[in-house]
Amino acid sequence: MDFFTPLILAVQMLIGFDADLYEIIGLSLQVSLVAVGAALVLGLPFGALLASFQFIGRGPLIVITNTLLGLPPVVVGLLVYLLISRAGPLGFLDLLYSPAAMMMAQFILVLPLSIALSRQVFEGLHQDYNLLFKSLNLSWTTRVTTLLVDGRAALVTIALVCFGRAISEVGAVILVGGNIKHVTRVMTSAIALETARGELAFALALGLVLLFIALVVNIISQQIRQYFTPEDRYG
Amino acid sequence: MAKLCSEAVCMQASALSVRRGTKLLLKEISAAIPAGKVTLILGHNGAGKTLLMQTLHGLVTPTSGQVMGPDIAVQKMVFQTPVMLRCTASKHFDFLCPDASQEEKLSWFKRASLVGRMQVPARSMSGGEQQKLAIIGALASQPDVLFLDEPAANLDFEATAFVEEMIRWSAKNGTTIVMVSHNRAQAERLADHILFMDKGRLMEQTSAKQFFCAPSSDAGKTYLNFA
Repeated sequence: MDFFTPLILAVQMLIGFDADLYEIIGLSLQVSLVAVGAALVLGLPFGALLASFQFIGRGPLIVITNTLLGLPPVVVGLLVYLLISRAGPLGFLDLLYSPAAMMMAQFILVLPLSIALSRQVFEGLHQDYNLLFKSLNLSWTTRVTTLLVDGRAALVTIALVCFGRAISEVGAVILVGGNIKHVTRVMTSAIALETARGELAFALALGLVLLFIALVVNIISQQIRQYFTPEDRYG
Repeated sequence: MAKLCSEAVCMQASALSVRRGTKLLLKEISAAIPAGKVTLILGHNGAGKTLLMQTLHGLVTPTSGQVMGPDIAVQKMVFQTPVMLRCTASKHFDFLCPDASQEEKLSWFKRASLVGRMQVPARSMSGGEQQKLAIIGALASQPDVLFLDEPAANLDFEATAFVEEMIRWSAKNGTTIVMVSHNRAQAERLADHILFMDKGRLMEQTSAKQFFCAPSSDAGKTYLNFA
């Protein structure tokens, strides 16, 4: 089979709104958006706290979050599997092979990323604002909120980086999701499966969608950065 | 910061020292800041003027000694290079003075001739406009003590005149002003009281008239010869 035949088939499936294809795309987006949203809600304020306050254990926490950046996805998958399997401590929740399990795995993967990247952004901002914050005698909540609002342009980029990491992840979601059709099959796990089965058109169509999502994410990122005037923009 | 029970003196520093590593940057400084007056901290570059002001304000914790005065909540500071958030001038003012009403805000912007600049990103304003914004933001909350770190450095005549007018107005309304300046003419125009520093030591604390007519220290005489 040449390269173009599956490509044409892929385009036909996309244009023809193939139900299976769009179900997989929808689930992928749903899982990754929830995981990234939760990771940002927790990670960004935590990054701001690490950047702007000195407290006991701050150094080790920074080392741990930086170390977790290199966490292999399959290891995350294995850990989540052990946690939520029937014999695991969270086995009673009955989450194994469900979208919630995949969200959990992606959340654990991108949380260190959101903390480490936002800490770097906020450290720069905090250097600029530290004396002003002290002078105004601001509470820690006001400081963190101000840093979050002020660093919004950079935070959008962080969110997009996290989303890119989550949606392109395959190892962990296969382990905890099981790649079950109509239940836990997402784009990356489906590509792996369909390629192994020789269904290159389907795999390629999903690959094209992943590429298209990467393109859309980039365009959104660009638009958001242009929306903020140069004076508003971080850096 | 401990409270001070005197009407004539607003702040009192007692044997204040600040050490950074092996360097003693402020050496046993004891000074009184008179209430409702303009106190200028003078000295050569590196004398420790800004550090003394930041220590008085509570931004720097002294290695030894203590500062007695009003709570930091009723003090404001305007920095030499104003720090601007990434938002409009109007929102930046709200950040500096969250309790001001819309009418009060508008009147302060009118006073600073910045009404037309309210919706402009604060960071895109000129240095003079940013300094004006920082000053009205500080004054709008009616602080008991206002610290100004070279507020007119690099400003044009118009902006400098505004800054000086605001300093006179707020002192007249009972605000204690503590200010660092390198401009002798400005110091003579504004100051009631002088703290003169040299190499981290407080060499003189006296009335402005006394200091500019007959400084008592050799360092003060040398400084005035150059200034």
